[in-house]
Amino acid sequence: MVDRGANIDVVFRNGLKDYEVLPPADVWDKIRPAIRKSHKPVIILRAAAMIAVIISLSFLAYKWSTNLSASLGSLSFAINPESENPGALVPSSGIYRDAATPYVAMQDQQKPVPDAGMDIPIQTAYDNQVSAVLNKIEPENGPSFRGTNFRNKNGIIPLEKSFTRQYTASLYLPEVVSEIPQKTEGNRWTIAALVSPTYYSGFNSDHNALTSLLVSKEQPIVSYTGGVAFAYKINKRLSVQSGVYYSSLGNELSGISSFAGFEPYDRTKGDHNFEVLTTNGTVYTSNSDIFLIDKISAARISTRYTSDVFDPDKANLKYLDNSLTQNFSYLELPFFVKYKLVDKTLGFNLVGGLSSNFLVNNAVYSSLNGGKYLIGKTEGVDAITFSSSLGMGMEYSLGKNLSLNLEPTFRYYLNPVTGTEGLRVHPYSFGIFSGLSYKF
Amino acid sequence: MTEIKNIINGCLKGDRRDQELLYRRYAARLYAVCLQYSGNDEEARDVLQEGFIKIYENLVHYKYEGSFDGWVRRIMVNTALEKYRSKHNLYRVDDIDQIPEPNAEPDNEDYAGLEARDLMEIIRELPPRYRIVFNLFAIEGYSHKEISDMMSISEGTSKSNLSRARVILQRRVGSYTGLKKKLING
Repeated sequence: MVDRGANIDVVFRNGLKDYEVLPPADVWDKIRPAIRKSHKPVIILRAAAMIAVIISLSFLAYKWSTNLSASLGSLSFAINPESENPGALVPSSGIYRDAATPYVAMQDQQKPVPDAGMDIPIQTAYDNQVSAVLNKIEPENGPSFRGTNFRNKNGIIPLEKSFTRQYTASLYLPEVVSEIPQKTEGNRWTIAALVSPTYYSGFNSDHNALTSLLVSKEQPIVSYTGGVAFAYKINKRLSVQSGVYYSSLGNELSGISSFAGFEPYDRTKGDHNFEVLTTNGTVYTSNSDIFLIDKISAARISTRYTSDVFDPDKANLKYLDNSLTQNFSYLELPFFVKYKLVDKTLGFNLVGGLSSNFLVNNAVYSSLNGGKYLIGKTEGVDAITFSSSLGMGMEYSLGKNLSLNLEPTFRYYLNPVTGTEGLRVHPYSFGIFSGLSYKF
Repeated sequence: MTEIKNIINGCLKGDRRDQELLYRRYAARLYAVCLQYSGNDEEARDVLQEGFIKIYENLVHYKYEGSFDGWVRRIMVNTALEKYRSKHNLYRVDDIDQIPEPNAEPDNEDYAGLEARDLMEIIRELPPRYRIVFNLFAIEGYSHKEISDMMSISEGTSKSNLSRARVILQRRVGSYTGLKKKLING
């Protein structure tokens, strides 16, 4: 029996090995329009990743060069006073910068103080900045330190304005100037208009044969986010940011062909004709003129009108497309914290926080020649979702108040999508926000 | 290999001419596979269509490891299996006793007289599950363990289905060649 069985196996194997049968001519006509033209989302993701890498490298290079030049600068400054005035020793610290204790004092009284008339060169441009420091440390109704004498039992130190100016400027100016709160005082608010192309996808878990099929046949569409943001500067480095964004995202459900003109054949008036399983939930058709057929697997579509009951080709329905587009639009209310890493003409900052996303549009449609045919909507999608964001912003100052912003941002949606049994999808998106901001 | 590589690269770039070239090159061979796994021509046509769409969509994942012929054939077989799984509730396994006993057991001469077209006809008359199991084991070379995983059946069921498929095929070959001889001899 075994030999006979093995023998018949060989007969069929060899006999059918090179067998060929020409398929009907119309098969190619049906395959051709169903072939995807390209994999745009993958290209976009690669481009986005490339841009992010370039920005990160630029940032590191910039940071490194800034640190290097700062080190060189502080080295030359430490040498200069002593080289020009060998007899004068410098105090280890000087002006207290705390506004609550506005006085000027010498901490190390053992060190000789340069004469008031000692001529230490001061760059003219520093004059105004020093005045600004003095104005800050002299409260409006408080005591004036200009021309007054500080009490010192070992000797009176006359704090002449000329000395203060020279001494402060020559020894402490670089440190003090960096603390001049000219920006925090004047420009605490920022308004920005930002827009970003967004790559949207999801982390999937709990795979089985059906969910793997669903995931593999869904391609993220090119999405976008745009809106207005307001930021309030708490201090030199920290800001809080909010605003309103509108984002549109979704998936392309490939392999599902749609046809128009089904209305006359629809015998179930008032009820949906097709249910399409997706990772985000089940799509219920609301347009009774649409006929759907799954070219990849019969497992995704539930309908009374299966291919053995109704043939769209025989009924001469109008072919629309070989995929459906599932679209969700959200209004987003973010609350972000922004930390400034570098505050220069080209500034860098880290942005992170949480957003509430309110679903404002939920539609599934098919396309033909740029026109959209509404198919229905996805059931079971949460009306409110929460997402966390992390980004690195680049800010290029175009003037006193105007800046150009570029902000690659990664967003992770905290609510898992559990639209299909056995599947949990944690959506995420990556976008590069760009736009203009105005400080006031 | 270079030629098929050029065609694959063309397909990946979305070149319509290369896409059609790929289809023309493999359609006849793969349609025979579809017929071998499907119960009727319409189903075979659907499998061919869906299988080719998968081939184009997955070309980007083809790593040039192993033969391209084998790769496209595997996709087509998997598509046929998916189609079978989606309809398996509709299929019933025929009772082996309903298949008539042949007048005589087929011998080697009978087998030698069979053409590929005859074999195809005989194999397509098998009940769907027997047909799939026989094809996967005898033609594709899968083990019973692999078949049990692919079809969500036990290994025992796979072995039993194969055994029954062989018996049916032998009876059918016997009947077929007997009839053929009768027709030839008048």
